[in-house]
Amino acid sequence: MRHVGRRIFLFAASAVLLVYVLAPVAWLVSSSFQGEAEITSRPPHWIPRQPTLENFEAIFQARDKKVTYETRRAGDPATGGYIPSTARNLIPSMWNSLLVALAVVALNLLVAVPAAYAMAKIRFIGRSTSIYFMLTTRVIPDIALVVPFFLFIRTFGLLDHLGSLVITYLAITVPFSIFILVSYFESLPDELDKAARVDGCSRLQTMMRVYVPLALPALVAVVLFTFLSSWNEFLLALMFTQTPKSQTMPIVVASFASDFTISFAFINAAGVLAVVPPVLMAVIFERYIVSGLTAGAVKG
Amino acid sequence: MARIRFESVGKEYPNGFVALENLSLEIADKEFVVLLGPSGCGKSTTLNLIAGLEDVTAGSLYFDSTLMNVVPAHRRDVAMVFQSYALYPHKSVYENIAFGLRMRGHPKDEIEKRVREAARALDIVPLLERRPHQLSGGQRQRVALGRALVRQPAAFLMDEPLSNLDAALRIAMRAEIKKLHQTMRTTFVYVTHDQAEALTLADRIVVMREGVIQQIGTPEEIYDRPRNTFVASFLGNPPINYLDGTLAGDSGGLRFERGALSLALPPALAQRLAGQGDGPSGRQVRLGLRAEDVDARGAPREGETLRGRISSVLPVGSDQYLGVEVEGATLFFRVGRELRVHEGENVALSVNMNRAQLFDSSSGASLLWQ
Repeated sequence: MRHVGRRIFLFAASAVLLVYVLAPVAWLVSSSFQGEAEITSRPPHWIPRQPTLENFEAIFQARDKKVTYETRRAGDPATGGYIPSTARNLIPSMWNSLLVALAVVALNLLVAVPAAYAMAKIRFIGRSTSIYFMLTTRVIPDIALVVPFFLFIRTFGLLDHLGSLVITYLAITVPFSIFILVSYFESLPDELDKAARVDGCSRLQTMMRVYVPLALPALVAVVLFTFLSSWNEFLLALMFTQTPKSQTMPIVVASFASDFTISFAFINAAGVLAVVPPVLMAVIFERYIVSGLTAGAVKG
Repeated sequence: MARIRFESVGKEYPNGFVALENLSLEIADKEFVVLLGPSGCGKSTTLNLIAGLEDVTAGSLYFDSTLMNVVPAHRRDVAMVFQSYALYPHKSVYENIAFGLRMRGHPKDEIEKRVREAARALDIVPLLERRPHQLSGGQRQRVALGRALVRQPAAFLMDEPLSNLDAALRIAMRAEIKKLHQTMRTTFVYVTHDQAEALTLADRIVVMREGVIQQIGTPEEIYDRPRNTFVASFLGNPPINYLDGTLAGDSGGLRFERGALSLALPPALAQRLAGQGDGPSGRQVRLGLRAEDVDARGAPREGETLRGRISSVLPVGSDQYLGVEVEGATLFFRVGRELRVHEGENVALSVNMNRAQLFDSSSGASLLWQ
């Protein structure tokens, strides 16, 4: 009987957790298909009674409209009359976010994979020191880095340029990527390294042909981590970007809430678009997160 | 193909640990050399230096007449088999075996042909499409061998390749490796801590201890004429017995004495010792007796007989081991199982003194070699 009670408890606890995690997302998605009137109804409609795509239409058409404080009140019937003054920046900002995130992911892999391989498999003086030193950079909060970063970025003339974001995001994500990969590479047997080199691989070939395929789960983790970190990053983007030319999605979405009147339906539709790329990434890479690839490498 | 020559080679790790000291060794082409020693003796390091997996920090290493000190591993024509097999888990058996050939740019049809040949030789053709994790230990070992032999390398390096196998399989694979050496006619360097493997496989054995070579010789030399007590103790099962005592007499008739025990040394040995130092008489020595160098059946003869009390009788199938207390020391001997003896009985064993070893008490060096 205790067994059944335990199961019921676990089931209930999981259900509570699930609701806690999923309810905000569900509301985000549901409300993005509601008009401004329906979104404020009480009790809230979890399933839209008059589903509409007009929030999304407004987002994609915002580019062609000039929205000012004066004109927007006349506004858009779909959004209840209020679309934010910065609405037209949303699509370009998502494009900026995507560019930055992809660049950060690619450069992360380019730097972190060889660095981690070297730290895990080549014995050199100062090896463990460099790992610890790198890790200490992770305990510094981003806010403490803002001023030095700003001075650096200004000196190099990169203010209001996507490059400033790529550089600073790399500084923040690379140490952690290396850390993830070092521990994974270390868990792979050293003999594979020796075997590959005797088989005729240079160090680089050993890394590419033996360790990278085996480290796929860790690489996927790194890709997801770095992509999400830069996709979601707000503080540094707020500091270094000033015009729509370089603003990223979180900055533009946040600006929607700074008008006198706010269309929550429109913001939520923007929110839905914002979660699409990360969700896509997760779906694409989920099947590569496989364990047990190393089984059978060595005795066992 | 490949003669491997170490000239005063040293290996010191960055943390200051000295793995090899002043190692000089020449391995002839097509020779089967076994590096034998306890763990930490530098035998695996020696192998890694040959493979180029670690850097030589002193001295020179040559293949034939080419200096190899700074040639990276992938440019040396050697193949290696590891204790843990080190198969690539993400590749099929076929790909594992083909990998070395691919990396060296062999044409595809030749790779196919050679992989099939190697697979046939090792009896693993049905396994070619499998992944390493689907294989048993013995099968993985064969794949590891296949991966090495398909390359037809100038030298074949093996780092304790059999120590993860169970006893029966190990003996079968031992025979197979020996056959492989005979058919491939390549230099083999084989690392092990198993004296039986060394004695069965080697043309020559190199016994190592703490980074220093103790003795190089054929298996018979190493077994019959060890240079010191370390080498003597490392080979033989059960291990060699030692008795500390003194020499007495003169070149006419030199004896080993300990308490009431007195054993006559063979005249040839007595003569050799007579020429050393201040004369042999009174010298502190350590007598080494191999477990099999006694006979319980012969009639006891003066100067060739050990008398003692049996402290244990250990039957091991074909033979039995006797623990015998002689003058305060317990010695273990191997005798035929037809000998009916019991614990607590007294026994007289005749000793083959021609096979006895004699070592310096303090240095442990053999007196037979001086």
